[in-house]
Amino acid sequence: MIPISYNLRSLRVRTATTLATALGVGLVVFVLAAALMLSDGLQRTLNLGGSDDAAIVLRKGADGELSSSIEDNVLGIISAAPGVRKNQQGQPLAIGEVVMVVQMWTQDGRGQSNVLVRGVPERVLEFRPQVKILEGRPAKVGTTEVIVGRGILGRFENLELGGEIELRKNVRAQVVGVFDAGGSSYESEVWGDLFVVRDAFGRDGAVSSVRVRLDSPEQFEGFEAAVELDPRLALQAIPEPRFLKEQSQGTADFISAIGISVTVFFSIGAMIGAMITMYGAVSSRSSEVGVLRALGFSRLTILLSFLLESLLLSLAGAVLGVVAALALSAVELSILNFQTFSEMVFRFHLTSETVLVAALLGAGMGILGGFLPAVRAARVSPIEAMRG
Amino acid sequence: MTQEQAADETAGKATPAVPPIIECRGISRTFWRGKERLDVLDDLDLEIPTGAFEALMGPSGSGKSTLLNLIAGLDRVTRGTIKVAGHQLERMNDAALAKWRSQTVGFVFQHFNLIPVLTALENVELPLLLTRLGARERKERAAIALRVVGLEDRMHHLPTQLSGGQEQRVGIARSIVHDPKIIVADEPTGELDRQSADDVLNLLQRLNEEFGKTIVMVTHDPAAAERAQVQRKLDKGRLT
Amino acid sequence: MRLLDLAVKNVRRNRLRTALTVAGVATAILAFVFLRTGITAWTSAADNAAADRLSTSHRVTFIMPLPKRYIEYFDGTRGRFEGVDAAAYAVWFGARHPVQTDQFFANFAVQAETFFDVYPDMIVPPQDLARWKETRRGAVVGQALAQKFGWKIGDIVRLEGTIYPGEWEFEVSAIYETKTRAVDRSQFVFHWDYLNESLPEPQRGQIGWIATRVSDPTRSAAIITAIDAKFEGFDVQTRTVTEKAAQTQFLAGFSALLRALDVVSVVILLIMMLILGNTIAMGVRERTREYGVLMALGFRPHHIAVFVVGEALAVGLLGGVLGLMLAYPIIQYGMGRWLEENMGAFFPYFRIPPHVSLVALGLSALLATIAAVLPALAASRLNATEALRRLG
Repeated sequence: MIPISYNLRSLRVRTATTLATALGVGLVVFVLAAALMLSDGLQRTLNLGGSDDAAIVLRKGADGELSSSIEDNVLGIISAAPGVRKNQQGQPLAIGEVVMVVQMWTQDGRGQSNVLVRGVPERVLEFRPQVKILEGRPAKVGTTEVIVGRGILGRFENLELGGEIELRKNVRAQVVGVFDAGGSSYESEVWGDLFVVRDAFGRDGAVSSVRVRLDSPEQFEGFEAAVELDPRLALQAIPEPRFLKEQSQGTADFISAIGISVTVFFSIGAMIGAMITMYGAVSSRSSEVGVLRALGFSRLTILLSFLLESLLLSLAGAVLGVVAALALSAVELSILNFQTFSEMVFRFHLTSETVLVAALLGAGMGILGGFLPAVRAARVSPIEAMRG
Repeated sequence: MTQEQAADETAGKATPAVPPIIECRGISRTFWRGKERLDVLDDLDLEIPTGAFEALMGPSGSGKSTLLNLIAGLDRVTRGTIKVAGHQLERMNDAALAKWRSQTVGFVFQHFNLIPVLTALENVELPLLLTRLGARERKERAAIALRVVGLEDRMHHLPTQLSGGQEQRVGIARSIVHDPKIIVADEPTGELDRQSADDVLNLLQRLNEEFGKTIVMVTHDPAAAERAQVQRKLDKGRLT
Repeated sequence: MRLLDLAVKNVRRNRLRTALTVAGVATAILAFVFLRTGITAWTSAADNAAADRLSTSHRVTFIMPLPKRYIEYFDGTRGRFEGVDAAAYAVWFGARHPVQTDQFFANFAVQAETFFDVYPDMIVPPQDLARWKETRRGAVVGQALAQKFGWKIGDIVRLEGTIYPGEWEFEVSAIYETKTRAVDRSQFVFHWDYLNESLPEPQRGQIGWIATRVSDPTRSAAIITAIDAKFEGFDVQTRTVTEKAAQTQFLAGFSALLRALDVVSVVILLIMMLILGNTIAMGVRERTREYGVLMALGFRPHHIAVFVVGEALAVGLLGGVLGLMLAYPIIQYGMGRWLEENMGAFFPYFRIPPHVSLVALGLSALLATIAAVLPALAASRLNATEALRRLG
């Protein structure tokens, strides 16, 4: 009932204190938002590589492409399963790929790290229409030419247009093109010819995984049943979105957990800061409060007014924190993905959920921190006003 | 007594007996400071008629401010009954007293007690926030109150931009904007220079004579006390 | 009563505010210690890596195997390397618990005869070790892992294979302890032969890496060169690194994250300074008139500054000490234990390093002083008469 302008102006008058407290809250919100954005960015990058109507087939029991192996002749059986979409020539949209992890020297002096090399068949671009060649040209089939994802370009020695990398001794690959994959994790990979790559690593006759496109997402169950029918084949089918989610879950959860546990500590600190500020406000305005009580404003009204002031203060800080976190969106990071043990490049990603959580955190700090001081304000007796 | 009553008397009419607006019977107020007991008021009786302008005087510690607080419903008696404007204050709880104050009492404080972040108009508007009036009506009434005290042209100034005397006049505007029956003033001229004090006292007199407000004023200032019709003296918690 | 005493006595003036500020500083110190301890614990694997151990694997990728016969160039069958005391081959198995699938632990198949010669920091009672060597499907399990899954010697346990699919049965033959707490106590080790004989013919005879123990760590570089040179002309080349280098490389993959945590630990210190600075400034504003009185009495501006800084220092140190007192039970014994047990592979050793405690205490004093600088300057610049006129 006391107009909000009273609170806003009171906050503005004590500029330094208000700023310091809001900044404290802002820092906490920033840290939490950054952690969530990191975790979301990781998952988003992986999820962007998938489609609703695609499914991936791995060997049964494997927890990822790296630990999976499927014989060439099985590919035919999978392609013939019900629900697999056919292209205009009547060919089933199913491709087998081989996945390898190769050690290379990083460009920034960290030493050696792992890069994911994917051996892809000729029809890979047909299968993944979101992939576009940015510079150079596609690799010629059957040669040692490779193309490099935009994200990983330049992060490792020789991983640039025109460069040459060593897949293994005496097997050199030339980088002829750079591809864009819509911001997905494929942009952290190097793609080469399926047969050349697996031959280089002695993996003839088998692929790591098979991806298919289905006529519609609903067809998955039928497809899955057919593929997993024969126990001797020992296959498992997973819808591609779920597979990608599981691949990033471990790392993403790890990051979120760190972010949240750190935030718990920090928010206690910021809350104490808010409490100190509000106690200060109450004590310096006790005669104002006395007047309001004398005029007939109820204790509850006064309590709510100060609580509101604390809330405004902390929400202002939360806004600062989110805006600062937004600036992080421009940053590109690379991290070792636990599942594939290779480097993955991704960005911070802000979702509306993160903004909501940040706002709630800010509000929570404001309400919890401001509650006791607001109670004290409500207890001011009107006679204080007389004493001025 | 009011001008009306005086006129009636001169005209020979018998004035009907109007009950006093303030009736205190046997009131005591005891304070405890740790184990120490302070009887600030002791078995006091007091009647103030409607439309009166009375001054309470006495040395510090005499209990005059305490008495004022009790009449205004800011404090509760330890013993006795106190009936103000038809309400038995000792029977009312905090919430009821708050509501009663917002409708019945107007305050004028020694230290003005304006809210520094609100403009003059907004300060005067404050008591009206406790009514059901809409925003426009509130602003209109506040402007009128400011006009009465002669500060309409300063309505958008902050208290820091006003002189002491002007601040107190805003305080007076605030004390009448909700049309209360009683105005309670605690050392209203205590912080003012002679000229401003006179302006304030003129206003109070006008409120009493033209608008019929009952005014109870605590003061040290003999010039202020002279403006009242009745002067009462308190010493050690008793009326002398 | 000296000046500093007076400053410290000021602390008692507004107890609630002082208490809150101390609590705020303590929380900040707690968070700081937690972060630095976490970072140190994570990177400690590299710091504590055995200086005398090397690891030889496929040059290009850790996924590709080495032929098993390479061990013959280490154990004397076809040759030896000078300076190498013991060698053992191993393969990453990568299985998981059939029920608690998300509990990560390292498991591999090893050369039974020599493995524990190369890893003497994994301590197995001699009889248990002998028994394990005799038991084809036996497994040596880390103390922490046994505790987590409730395994005892003699239990038959099953693991779900991922790289090598299917359900694998083992018998717990022995439980190992470690000399230093820095070594992972949740590993699972079994016979390579057991794995090999269960594989189809084309997949047999392959190993992941060869671990060696050298007698003189200072000669590691020469030995590394010798090993890799030996296999240079073979079909599969090797890359040999010290265990420390391997760990460091692994951590480098997370350098972005570690750097972020470094930044965050600075952020918490900033928050702490904001809280302290705010409180001190509020106090100064309230006591303006008193400073005026003191100056009228003859105190000089630098005395006033000392009051302010002294008070800040007192509060800062109190908070720092409180934070540290809480840090040990909460972080080391509370969270630390949980992390060691549940994420032992990453945080085998979660202890607050002594230098972190000292730094935390020092920082609380230093930052308190810095936070007090501006308010102290403002207070010391007060004009006595102005201050006396101001109404608090």
